[in-house]
Amino acid sequence: MSGTPGYYGQILDINLSTGKITKMAVPAEDLEKFVGGQGLGMKILWDRLKKPGVDALSPENPLIFMPGPFSGLPVPSSSRTCVVTKSSITSPIESDYHHASTVSYSNMGGFFGPEIRFAGYDGIVITGKAKELSYVVIDDAKVEIRDGKKFKGMRTDAFDKAILAELGDRRFKTVYIGPAAENLVPYASILHTAGRAAGRGGTGCVMGSKNLKAIAVKGSGQPGVADHQGFLAALEKARGALYKSAFAKSWAEQGTARAIVGNSNAGTETVRNYREGTFAEADKIGGDAARRDVWVKDIACYCCPLGCKKSGLTKGKYGGIVHDGPEYETGVMLGSNLLISDMPGLLKAITTIDDLGLDQISTGNVIGFLMEAYDRGLINRGFLDGIDLTWGNVDATLAMIEKIAAKEGVGALAAEGVRALSWHIGKGSEKFAIQVKGLELAAHNIQANQPRGLSYVTASRGACHMSGDNIAMQNRRAMMDSTGMCFFPTFEPALEEPMLALLSAITGRKYDKAEFEKTGERIFNLEKLFNYREGFRRADDQLPDRFFEDAFSIGPKKGAVLDRNKFDSMLTQYYTDRGWDPETTQPGSAKLKELGLEAISRAI
Amino acid sequence: MEREKKEPGKPDGGTTLTRREFLRDMGVAGGAVVLAGHFGVHGLAWAISGEPELKMVLVDYGKCTGCRTCEAACSSRNRPASVNGRELPGLGNPRFANIRVHRFNPDVDVPSVCAMCADTPCVKACPVKPDKKSGRRALYRDQATHTIHNDPARCLGCRSCAKACATQRTGVITPDSATGKPERMCTLCGGDPQCVRRCPFGALSYVEVRRDRKFYGQRAEKIAAELAKTWYGTVDLGGVK
Ligand code: SF4
Ligand code: SF4
Ligand code: SF4
Ligand code: SF4
Repeated sequence: MSGTPGYYGQILDINLSTGKITKMAVPAEDLEKFVGGQGLGMKILWDRLKKPGVDALSPENPLIFMPGPFSGLPVPSSSRTCVVTKSSITSPIESDYHHASTVSYSNMGGFFGPEIRFAGYDGIVITGKAKELSYVVIDDAKVEIRDGKKFKGMRTDAFDKAILAELGDRRFKTVYIGPAAENLVPYASILHTAGRAAGRGGTGCVMGSKNLKAIAVKGSGQPGVADHQGFLAALEKARGALYKSAFAKSWAEQGTARAIVGNSNAGTETVRNYREGTFAEADKIGGDAARRDVWVKDIACYCCPLGCKKSGLTKGKYGGIVHDGPEYETGVMLGSNLLISDMPGLLKAITTIDDLGLDQISTGNVIGFLMEAYDRGLINRGFLDGIDLTWGNVDATLAMIEKIAAKEGVGALAAEGVRALSWHIGKGSEKFAIQVKGLELAAHNIQANQPRGLSYVTASRGACHMSGDNIAMQNRRAMMDSTGMCFFPTFEPALEEPMLALLSAITGRKYDKAEFEKTGERIFNLEKLFNYREGFRRADDQLPDRFFEDAFSIGPKKGAVLDRNKFDSMLTQYYTDRGWDPETTQPGSAKLKELGLEAISRAI
Repeated sequence: MEREKKEPGKPDGGTTLTRREFLRDMGVAGGAVVLAGHFGVHGLAWAISGEPELKMVLVDYGKCTGCRTCEAACSSRNRPASVNGRELPGLGNPRFANIRVHRFNPDVDVPSVCAMCADTPCVKACPVKPDKKSGRRALYRDQATHTIHNDPARCLGCRSCAKACATQRTGVITPDSATGKPERMCTLCGGDPQCVRRCPFGALSYVEVRRDRKFYGQRAEKIAAELAKTWYGTVDLGGVK
């Protein structure tokens, strides 16, 4: 146990090239300034990559698994793990560095983060590259790198069972990659419990580049807290706030899937490759339909009273599938975005994507783009290796998913992401290749939702719907994802005060709303410094033309389209309010000083 | 509600009659023979036997989400963590809980807890001679609460009790890896079961149970296989122990 309360003060540092395993001490100052999760992961990334342009798929790029100070404590919804690394999919328009890319962070629920802390660590850093496919087993202080050749190419659902059978102990918590990541698809994901994923920004691709199939961890320890009595009192309040919450109850009913119908009605849904914001058949793939036809059981992450994950079972042509979903992102990206309204077909697509270890959002986005290009006659069936990729075609979608994961034929092109694909096809297709900095947009459409457009263009990992629609939200979210607690329960306003009290009691540092946001701002600015050093400028914070040209033709927001000038002046205002240069987006020295980042920024 | 319909397993749901209800229903149905067919002979024997009421932690598998709050709550009370030599009630690693939530793929979560078996195969397996005064072996049942206890001073750490429990019943007994002495027998938390109190989904209750009810005293793997078959039509759980 370190001198800093609430932490072990050590990170498990594994080099797969040399096989060296060390327990790296974390400076108390870093714990204080960057907390854990996304923040501390970012600081470690910054420390490890001392220069810009490091190839994301090179052994040097660290792959960082971060719980937070809440993890391993019985705090409600303290289930998250943030995976931080350098992105394998983003790049700036112009840069002095061949391999320039943004930071990447991807957050998943489940049981992995808490278990890392039970094992006695505040995080795990993987560097290097194993000679052959390997996996890492962590049992408290005992850490081993094992040969994983026999698991090569194994899909994630089968692997989830196989690895536990191999280890002979179901108490191990595991994360792993599928064939897509082994094949280095830049938007491959990392899976956990066969249905939870750190999906975005290519974390799985980086893991694949290290020849690392899986990490298994189990631990017998218990992280401490600074103020024991204060912690227990705040815990009681936090539980009280959520157990009695009407919001929590309604969230438990349908999880994010409720928004499939809600956002369609509001005209903010991704439909037909972002051409529309409303889907006439949304009710066929929404939460009510899922509850009626497919969901068998509600599933919750560690100590979570919400339980928004659902286990579904399909019938009919695509019958017999047991999997999570549809959630909002998965249901929209593979559903309304592709005009698929057949629930079992949708679930089959979602399941296949997870099974192969691809990011649901990027995969759905790429396929939507291809459907549009095919529909417009910009590509023909030959280009698609004979797949008749028409709107709403489930079997064609499934075939394309397999091709992407295998990087086979057209799949090899599609695997590079929607931007690279549009460059290849040309013919003006860039206008409807829906990405920012090379990362595909998610299931929130923006012709009628300009603030979400801000989130997409200014987010540190490329088009991210979770970053936040304004500065305060961005700062709060960056901090939230640094604590180990899930973001969803914070929709319950009564949780805020006990949550801050818990964080204060655990760390012994006084957190009020202002301090919480300030810490998030520091984290967000460090990410920005990283991206700026790589060469990202204002021109990279740009939306595709579609959002300014293609007004919705249906739905309640018919006619809605973004105004370029308005969007631009909103951005100028944003950089100014952030204390960044509105022309270059470079963080100003006054802001950096205020955030205690001046020493770090001198590196630029 | 739709949700009710989606819980076809509901193995515990309708079978948690108290003895009084049972005897009452027996009267209504007009005879023990009818009910014996319905509830099984063990239930009948239990109902008309003089065996004292058994109150224990009962699981509704259809409601369990696998959140493990029960584990955390149990450890917090029964196996609090020590940090730097100081015991911290309210904090404890869930793996030391007396209730263990077994997770399976496909999604089935089976909280497993001591069944407080009437015939206590665990106690019978204990080779330590019964104490002359108390009649207790190194493992014994508290006659009032039915909970199983270990007398560490007399325990040999031979693991026989754990083996008996694992082969014949739930398998909850986990010997301490160093001493071999049995652990994880539910204490009922002195009458205020923390797992029941903290379960956010109402999947646990502290009620009188019948020993013949479905899944009573069975291993988590067996229960999971049957639930998976009922819910998903599959029995493939990956052959994981
Ligand atoms: S707390 Fe309740 S819902 Fe959660 S795992 Fe335990 S029994 Fe299941
Ligand atoms: S479940 Fe196991 S420990 Fe509990 S009474 Fe039965 S045999 Fe003994
Ligand atoms: S381990 Fe102890 S309690 Fe268990 S059977 Fe052996 S002597 Fe008896
Ligand atoms: S009743 Fe108490 S001892 Fe028994 S499983 Fe529940 S929390 Fe643990």
